[in-house]
Amino acid sequence: MLNTYRALRANGVIGINERNVKYVNALNPRKLLVRVDDKLVTKELAAPAGIPTPELYGVIRDARDMKRLPEFIDHADGFVIKPAQGSQGKGIIVVESPLKGGWRLSSGKRIDLESIKFQINNMLSGMYSLGGQPDKALVEYRVKFDDVFGKVSFRGVPDIRVIVLKGIPVFGMLRLPTAESDGKANLHKGGVGAGIDLATGLSMRAMQHDYFIELHPDTAHPLENIQTPYWDDILLMAAKSYEVTGLGYIGVDVVLDREKGPLLLELNARPGISIQIANRKGLRFVLEKAMALSETPRTPEERVAIAKTLTL
Amino acid sequence: MKIKLRHATALGIALIVAGLAIFLIKALALHYPLAPGAQSTLYDYELYIEFDGRNQPARIEAFVPASDVERAFPQEQFYNGSFGLSLTGDATRNRKAVWTYRYPADRKVLRYSAQTLGETKSTPLPLSFRESEPEESPFEADPVKRQAFIVWSGNLRQRSADDSSFAELAIFETFGERTESEQYADEIAALLDPRGGVVSRLELARQLLHSQGIPARIANGVYLTEARRRVETRHWLEYHIDGDDRRYFPEGDPARFFTIWYGTEPMIEAAGIENLETQIALRAQEASAANIAENMPGPGGAFGKAFGFSSLPLTTQLVYQVLVTIPIGITILVFLRQFVGFKTLGTFMPVLIGIAFRETALLNGVLLFTLLVALGLALRFYLERLQLLLVPRLAVVLIFIVIAMAVIAVLMAETNQAMGLSISLFPMVILTMTIERMSIVWEENSASEAIKQGLGSLFVAAISYLAMTNSYAEHIMYRFPEFLLVLMGLCILMGRYTGLRLSELWRFKALAS
Repeated sequence: MLNTYRALRANGVIGINERNVKYVNALNPRKLLVRVDDKLVTKELAAPAGIPTPELYGVIRDARDMKRLPEFIDHADGFVIKPAQGSQGKGIIVVESPLKGGWRLSSGKRIDLESIKFQINNMLSGMYSLGGQPDKALVEYRVKFDDVFGKVSFRGVPDIRVIVLKGIPVFGMLRLPTAESDGKANLHKGGVGAGIDLATGLSMRAMQHDYFIELHPDTAHPLENIQTPYWDDILLMAAKSYEVTGLGYIGVDVVLDREKGPLLLELNARPGISIQIANRKGLRFVLEKAMALSETPRTPEERVAIAKTLTL
Repeated sequence: MKIKLRHATALGIALIVAGLAIFLIKALALHYPLAPGAQSTLYDYELYIEFDGRNQPARIEAFVPASDVERAFPQEQFYNGSFGLSLTGDATRNRKAVWTYRYPADRKVLRYSAQTLGETKSTPLPLSFRESEPEESPFEADPVKRQAFIVWSGNLRQRSADDSSFAELAIFETFGERTESEQYADEIAALLDPRGGVVSRLELARQLLHSQGIPARIANGVYLTEARRRVETRHWLEYHIDGDDRRYFPEGDPARFFTIWYGTEPMIEAAGIENLETQIALRAQEASAANIAENMPGPGGAFGKAFGFSSLPLTTQLVYQVLVTIPIGITILVFLRQFVGFKTLGTFMPVLIGIAFRETALLNGVLLFTLLVALGLALRFYLERLQLLLVPRLAVVLIFIVIAMAVIAVLMAETNQAMGLSISLFPMVILTMTIERMSIVWEENSASEAIKQGLGSLFVAAISYLAMTNSYAEHIMYRFPEFLLVLMGLCILMGRYTGLRLSELWRFKALAS
């Protein structure tokens, strides 16, 4: 056990304690957390900075807004309703298309207006927000995800997670849904994580449930060497998120849309540490290197250039 | 970063050191018992004076024990009858009770009682005594005796190497049997009244020691080892040589004794009465060592009171007896979360459940808890279908929990199961939140994850319950609340632990190669 501990330390693997003390608590001022905890705030801050996000159709704050719901969701190509302060994809309704007076969910089930309203009311009452605070519901553009990851995804939306330290992208990971994860890309629900080489945007090796894997468990397609499109744009979006939030340690979640390219989905002020397994490498040395390099102020473009040399 | 780490570490260590320092003072200097239920023998000392009044002004003076800093002397009481009482003399040395009455008739009784732990040979003599510089030239009035004293003491000095051997020789010869062949038999005979008792010999020895500048005094009191109805007063010599406290007991070494007064005066002096009878009684009784330590007079007791709960009313004390153990559970919880990586439902929920186990005992508590959570979960899954909003749903679950608790209590009361009654002490709000969290984990993650976290919480609750109800832990926390500082310091140190958790070793084992 002591040997395992030493080996993990030697490989630079950091635990939750170290992440919290040295990075989350030290670099993320509490009063700025609202910028990432509330997706509406994130959206409003991101647009002027040139970070694209899924188009907002409407915000529901109370019963009066609810009357405008039919107007908000009047989109033939579907829509997404999500709690503004939800985390880990909880409470999200993804609607693909109208179906027999109701709508068709991404899971294939049918949903009617009453059920949608009930779900929204749950969101407003704070069922999915941290500490159960009253919340808002956002109605958004439904991302039509790029086929590039189609062969390594089972339903759901694959996304890209980039860990950013003071504006310098340090780790990247492709998160792919599986049958087990029920279309969600969250690793702890059984999603697949594949490390991305920061310099090239090529996927490296992968993991599921804390174990290394080579093939996607459902599609049996190799997970290595998939080129992430728009990789430079994604890195630049991630780097800019630092100016937008002022938070020194964040996880940037990006989805790839077939037509609109990369879109910022959400920011996370306490990103998980499983990304180390996906990259088969501990975070510490890269984080410390980036920390030293962040001493001098640089533009987002310069920081992207630094990120590409970090792991060399 | 570094500064914060150093700051936190310094604060944590400072708290731990401060707590341990207070603890050590109480444990080592004030002799607070470390184990629960430690017993000490407490002695009831009683002085009983009986006499006939003669219808004329009466005055009875008796030495009563002085409250000395160095010895435990918890409480005293006077029974004066109709007599007036005044206390004279030095409160820390020769204290005298003076009872007076103008025209007493008939038989009168006066009593004085005190409780004491007594002293032992290792009880230090007061500093003022050690540093006193005796100078006295005895027998000024009697040239013959004075001459004899000078000759004898001078000779003792010649035959001894230092103060220590002088004292031993002086005591030996003062108390030794007189033999004709002895060199200074004449001088000793001149100085010592053959009819004089122990006190006059002690007085001679004291004068000899004083002639050499050695602080010495005659102490009078009782041997506590002779605890019985009728006890003789005993006399001994206390002296101090080269930083060393010494006592000479001519009447046999007692393991424990109780000093009442110093000097050669008799214990009781009376005027205007007749048929005086005095009696000293000693009774040994067992008492909680902790209570004795906290009720000691002097700075020791005051220190203990300042860092203890003994000044609070009894009912409040009982509350704190429970409260001060909770930080133990909390600290264990912090350890299990930060170092082991236990996942629990809610942050402090397991500790609160652990507190509830106090009333139900462990096995019953676990069974009842599991039963209630299972029932609550079943209801919660049914409510899910009704699509209720969050707060009303929580309320329904809470009301259901109350009903379930009441039903269980009634059913068990009918079958004479005492454990059913204790169910009412479960914190229902905590149970409700546990059920809600568990059902969310159940839905969002999986049933196995929910059950895993539920069992984890139960396990932590059981561990913290066992720790909080451990009789040593209870005793230490209650008698030494300064350990709260130690626990606080530990939590601060754990708060800056950035190493891997035990569970993370397993999680990242793939990266260990």
